[in-house]
Amino acid sequence: MPRTVSAYWLKLWRGNPPGIFLALLSLVVGCAMFIPVLYVFVRGLQGGTASWMRLMDTRIPILLQRSLGLALVVTVLGVVIGVAAAWLVVRTDLPGKRAWQWLLALPMVIPPYIGAITYIIIFGPRGWLHNLPGAHLFSIYSFGGVALVLTTFTYPYVYLICSASLKRMSRSYEEAAQAAGFSRGAVALRVVLPMLRPAIGAGALLIALYVLSDFGAISILRYNTFTTAIYYQMGSFDHKAASILSVILVLISLTLIWLETKTRQGQKFYVTKGGLARGAEIPLGICKWPSFIFIFMLFAVSVLLPLGVLGYWSYTGIVRGALDQRFFGFALNSLSTAGIASILSMTFALPVVYLKLRHPSIVSYSLDKMAYAGYALPGVVVALGLVFVFSNYLPFLYGSMAMLIISYVVRFLPQNMQAVEASLNLVSPRIEEAGRSLGLPPWQTLFKITLPVVAPGILAGGAFVFVSALKELPATLLLRPPGLDTLAVRVWIEAGEGFYHAAAPAALIIILISILPLKWMLSKY
Amino acid sequence: MKKVILTFFAIAIFVAALSGCSAKPGELVVYSARNESFVLPLTTAFEQQTGIKVRLLTGNEALVNKLGEEKNNVQADIFFSNDAGAMEFLRLQGLLQANKSPAVAAIDPLYRSDDGSWVGLSARTRVLIYNTDLISEENMPKSLWELTDPKWEGQFMITRGGNGSMVAHVAALRVAWGDERTTEWLTKVRANAGVIVSGHTDIRRAVGSGEYKFGLVNNYYYHLQLAEDKDNNVGAIYPDQGADGMGAFVNAAGVALIKGAPNSSNAKKFVDFLLQPEQQRMFAFNNKEVPLVPGVETVSEAKRIDEYKVMSVRLQDIGAVWADVKALIEAAGLDWDLSK
Repeated sequence: MPRTVSAYWLKLWRGNPPGIFLALLSLVVGCAMFIPVLYVFVRGLQGGTASWMRLMDTRIPILLQRSLGLALVVTVLGVVIGVAAAWLVVRTDLPGKRAWQWLLALPMVIPPYIGAITYIIIFGPRGWLHNLPGAHLFSIYSFGGVALVLTTFTYPYVYLICSASLKRMSRSYEEAAQAAGFSRGAVALRVVLPMLRPAIGAGALLIALYVLSDFGAISILRYNTFTTAIYYQMGSFDHKAASILSVILVLISLTLIWLETKTRQGQKFYVTKGGLARGAEIPLGICKWPSFIFIFMLFAVSVLLPLGVLGYWSYTGIVRGALDQRFFGFALNSLSTAGIASILSMTFALPVVYLKLRHPSIVSYSLDKMAYAGYALPGVVVALGLVFVFSNYLPFLYGSMAMLIISYVVRFLPQNMQAVEASLNLVSPRIEEAGRSLGLPPWQTLFKITLPVVAPGILAGGAFVFVSALKELPATLLLRPPGLDTLAVRVWIEAGEGFYHAAAPAALIIILISILPLKWMLSKY
Repeated sequence: MKKVILTFFAIAIFVAALSGCSAKPGELVVYSARNESFVLPLTTAFEQQTGIKVRLLTGNEALVNKLGEEKNNVQADIFFSNDAGAMEFLRLQGLLQANKSPAVAAIDPLYRSDDGSWVGLSARTRVLIYNTDLISEENMPKSLWELTDPKWEGQFMITRGGNGSMVAHVAALRVAWGDERTTEWLTKVRANAGVIVSGHTDIRRAVGSGEYKFGLVNNYYYHLQLAEDKDNNVGAIYPDQGADGMGAFVNAAGVALIKGAPNSSNAKKFVDFLLQPEQQRMFAFNNKEVPLVPGVETVSEAKRIDEYKVMSVRLQDIGAVWADVKALIEAAGLDWDLSK
């Protein structure tokens, strides 16, 4: 019997089993990431036919229409703007193209809920432009307003991925097409665009998933989607309805991911080596300055306007004494919760990734996928799952800082895993084998050989987690213990009351800290 | 860059260690459904006078459900409520603790529970705040039922049904009108309102700036808007004052003592503290509310409670129907419909 068990064990790991400690640690991390989400699902399905029917009759149709409508419009707009910007910046003789390359990525660091607040300050009914003739024709508190704000702060997903793709794309196909007599427009539409398809798909998926999960911007703009509905149901402790709505939202997200991979299959393009020689810039001719104005306006609405507004109100706030002792207390809360979350995720990312890359098997693959659960899903769903788990099984930790920090780890650990995976991929297993053949036990190989090489990746991942946790709003609002408001929560509370001078300094700090890891983010694409 | 980040994490660990080690004894945990700007000056003054650290969680009336959810794992000591109905509901659920403080006993029995577990601190009356540049007093609706009239479509603001003041108000209307008529009112008002927001501050500012003609608020929001530097051309209608009118609804904001509170003696200290004349003056002049401790002055624009007709609903009676009323509100779809 023991022989068959060990034989089975060997077969499971394809003859390359990991140490028991590594296997256990990864198992615990993978399951811990997955359980909260699983719990929501089970609770939702157990919700009972009556509750499902009641929600189906009243709320679900309108929420579906709103969530999907918003995701569709924002994605389409984001793709159009992102692709156009990427093409102009990478391929043409646009003035100042070097600077634009990174300036257009800057909106990434502005959380959409902060962006939404600045737009309310400018375009809102009591905003700076409110005395302008015709100002009443456009309401920021509308579908159009929400779509505009979300597009402004999410187009960089498509922009970044497409410009990276354009840079790598060989020019020979375009030249061939041109030689065959295609006009420049036809080349762009019939050669470049199809080759960009995978990049556009990946970027569009990110935008759509983001729109489905956004809570802050949408609720500040008084709109309602699945995410805000779940938040309000949770707020009134109707966990059953919140779970049911969550199940539907999770299914929508998974369907999107599945659709994207499905349509990508059979649409592969290979770039032949050697054809990468830089072609000449495409002259824009008469369109040069209109294009410049387009790019400049994009930068203005997505970066200059928000930062200008925040700068103005921060100044007003600081003059009025916004940076008091309380403020530093909130900053401390933010730094400590985000700091601990990033340390934990740096610790837990390596074992899961190491297991996946060095001991590939169905187990390590599943654990890796399970750890991604919290990342693909909206923060409100993760928060709901944690409330279930903690109040039922860990009541002594309920309402403590630990619950908040764990929610950050569940949501953002995969960011750290991606960074670790990228750097661990660069370490050949041969080097580790050499270490072991020289007599080092596996754990020493890990500490002496692997760790020093992947450390930059781990740290970069930790920085991503830190920044994401700093910006996090929905789970923080739902899980923060009494007296532990973070900067993000303060921005939310103060802006909700219209105290922009108190909200702006906190918002500005969040943005400034978020700029730090942007360098890595840009080099990633 | 690497160094910067490493230092950064080192600091973060240090800070986390510090905050993790904080001592627990001299604490008070306050769940507050009230606007933070009304509560914070009081908790800060309490901290300064007693040295007890107050941990404040600002939320909304949903905290009532949170308190119920945490029944076996009590986190809060005090619940600061906008609405006496919610506090009485908690008492009926067995979630509150009796309080024999003489300061509580000094309050009119109308505005406290018999066992002293909750006590009203300030009165608020539901009024219609209106922009005097956009609509004259004569043209304003004079009763709440008039809000269902299609002629007001898109012109006024109300809060979500989840708002505590709103729940109690609907409960009072239900006593006067019964289920069917109340549901009709909720459904029609929901359809008619220009926008449905989560708080009253939004309403007073938007009406003050002329975004909407009028809105349903607690009277001190009208007093607060009058005191603004700009956008202060506002008036207030005390509704249903006609000969056969039902009168305006008066509620009390107050505090409740949670059963099994981790810091029970601090909580009692806090209740006594709030009932001192100094703090009551803070309610009257910072928040521009009407204090319930006898003999405390109010701002001049606040109407005295004997100057207008008041609905005859007893606040205690709202507690018993609180959950039913919330169900009614949800059925009418007013609980979280933020957008039109």
